[in-house]
Amino acid sequence: MNTPVPLITRHAPVDRVFHWITALAVLLLLASAFLPILGVKFSWVPLHWISGVVLTVAVIFHTIRSTFFRRLKCMLIWPRHLREFAAGKRAAKYTLPQKLMHAVLGFAVLLATATGVVMLAKVDTPFWQRNPYLLEASTWGIVYVLHGAAALAILTLTMAHLYFSLLPEKRAYLRAMIGGQMTREEAAVHHDPARWSGERKHDPRENGT
Amino acid sequence: MELFRITRNAWGQETLEGISWDLLPVAFGLGIAIIAGHLVWRALRKRSMGKR
Repeated sequence: MNTPVPLITRHAPVDRVFHWITALAVLLLLASAFLPILGVKFSWVPLHWISGVVLTVAVIFHTIRSTFFRRLKCMLIWPRHLREFAAGKRAAKYTLPQKLMHAVLGFAVLLATATGVVMLAKVDTPFWQRNPYLLEASTWGIVYVLHGAAALAILTLTMAHLYFSLLPEKRAYLRAMIGGQMTREEAAVHHDPARWSGERKHDPRENGT
Repeated sequence: MELFRITRNAWGQETLEGISWDLLPVAFGLGIAIIAGHLVWRALRKRSMGKR
């Protein structure tokens, strides 16, 4: 009989649900933003604002959860992380490239959602009536520029994120984002078990940073 | 290639409308460049590791 492979938990169910809701919302937002520009005509506004509201709620939830109920410092980047990466040292829970992707994509999504929330004032919905005079025309222009720039950055970064997630050598991360777990051997390739081993709850020495 | 979309109102004043959609192919191309660049780096790395 085969001995069971020891698995460790990388992502809690709530984090995986957040990730996939965010992923779906971002893909719908990109499609409803850019397909009409490319000549695919459809009623894109309802899909865009509803997906935007879903993304905003998900971002607020994630920000509160990771700030107050999780270890936010797991995602921070310090000079020592650059030195460790250059020296080929294994990381804690997140590798430097993962942290960089999270930082850049997170910033772009925050900018898009913040400006998108303001732009909701220009849309008539069952919940509120549009008020295009909320801001001056020149201020609206700046909001649109920031929203568009964030959207273009999200397009580039989403392409890169999808590519990296589908690489055969990164398959364990994709599996962990679907099922939550990876084997100890898979984790040990890039993660130092002394700094992160998936047993965070009962081990005060392991802080995932 | 324009960076911004600018229109004129009835009084001839210029109004900022948003970022130029000329940049859409640039963003897409940048994504392709990142993927292609990584594929090349990955292939070269594999080859150099195989030689060792």
